[in-house]
Amino acid sequence: MTIRLFRRAMQIGVMVLFVAIPLLNRRGISVLSGSLYSLAIGPVWITDPAIGLQAILTTRAIDLTLLTSLTLPILLTLIGGRVFCSWLCPQNAISELVDSLAGRLGLQRRFPPPITPQARYALLAVVLTATGLAALPLVSLFSAPGILSMQVSKFIYEGRVGPELALIGGIILVELFVARRAWCGILCPVGSVLSLLRTPRTLKVVFSEGAGRVCTHCRACARACQLGLDPVAGNLYPQCHNCGECLDACKIAKDQKPLDFRW
Amino acid sequence: MNAPLRPPGAIAEDRFPATCLRCGKCALACPYGSIVLGDLFDGLDLMGTPIIRPRKKPCYLCMKCPPVCPSGALQRTTSRRESVKMGLAAIDHKACLAWQETLCRSCYDDCPIFDRALRMDEQLRPVVDQARCVGCGICENVCPVEPAAITVRPGPGVSS
Repeated sequence: MTIRLFRRAMQIGVMVLFVAIPLLNRRGISVLSGSLYSLAIGPVWITDPAIGLQAILTTRAIDLTLLTSLTLPILLTLIGGRVFCSWLCPQNAISELVDSLAGRLGLQRRFPPPITPQARYALLAVVLTATGLAALPLVSLFSAPGILSMQVSKFIYEGRVGPELALIGGIILVELFVARRAWCGILCPVGSVLSLLRTPRTLKVVFSEGAGRVCTHCRACARACQLGLDPVAGNLYPQCHNCGECLDACKIAKDQKPLDFRW
Repeated sequence: MNAPLRPPGAIAEDRFPATCLRCGKCALACPYGSIVLGDLFDGLDLMGTPIIRPRKKPCYLCMKCPPVCPSGALQRTTSRRESVKMGLAAIDHKACLAWQETLCRSCYDDCPIFDRALRMDEQLRPVVDQARCVGCGICENVCPVEPAAITVRPGPGVSS
């Protein structure tokens, strides 16, 4: 059983869910409702931390209900890292598909240049500052998972989609022809906020030899990484979102793999 | 675009675009499809926010949307339809059939705050009670005149 199998099941499940939500809500079944901006699972409300942060900046106030709804995703990220990105986010699923499609078509693309954590957070700071100054929810306009889930609902309810979808088209075009996986790896403000939620014990991919673990330096893991990271070299933070493709790619027997998820 | 008509429980328009997350939960909760989400042509500040266009579909005051709002842009405690202040109906006396001495009481008959927000005067002409009208837009929706002789002006929303 590969990690990928479970991950694909989750990714497809999420996509099915966000088609099912508006269809069911329309028939009055609303145990599940909302979008990847803010979701209700019965009485439990879940809001994207980036969107919660944005609300504090735009309103310069704190709404307690909103604040409470940030608890679950913050806990999930502190424990599991950016598993939302790799396991649940529909934009990541689309980008993965686009990237493998581009590979099969033989399109010439490069990875964006490596980015330091500081550069990623500087970019996020620009978006957040603009959000606060404009007092408009710019993060919402740049949240690909939010837009995707919302626009499915809008299409089912109103029979049309909004201009917000242009962002998704733009991401696909750039990733097809210019820079591989640039959105999830560098630009996405939702992922950047999640990257900030980290402790020394947050789940991560760790490379270590010794104690029967040997690396043959075949580079299968680095080739498998869609974000262009090299797990053997380390420095995976803040781009790595724990998808586990590198672990799947490593062909060394299970108990001797030098790569592992570790808390 | 002028200020839009917002769902029941909406806070004042000057704070609404900053507070609304654009999550769409209110539109999903609306059983009538009355709440549509604004797009770019409505302006960047209104894009993705809930808007009611009463001539197409008014608010039937089922009160399902305020409690689902994650941000408080719709005040979640709004539950009594009489306490809603989405807007205020105004009658164009020159266009209204009843005010032009043709028998019509479409708006009066369908007003959900029946015989209070809209009343018929002694000459059987509809009159809006500004203190009681909640601004749901049902009157604008059912008015047989084109364009409607009774229209809802948005606001002021709930005070906090």
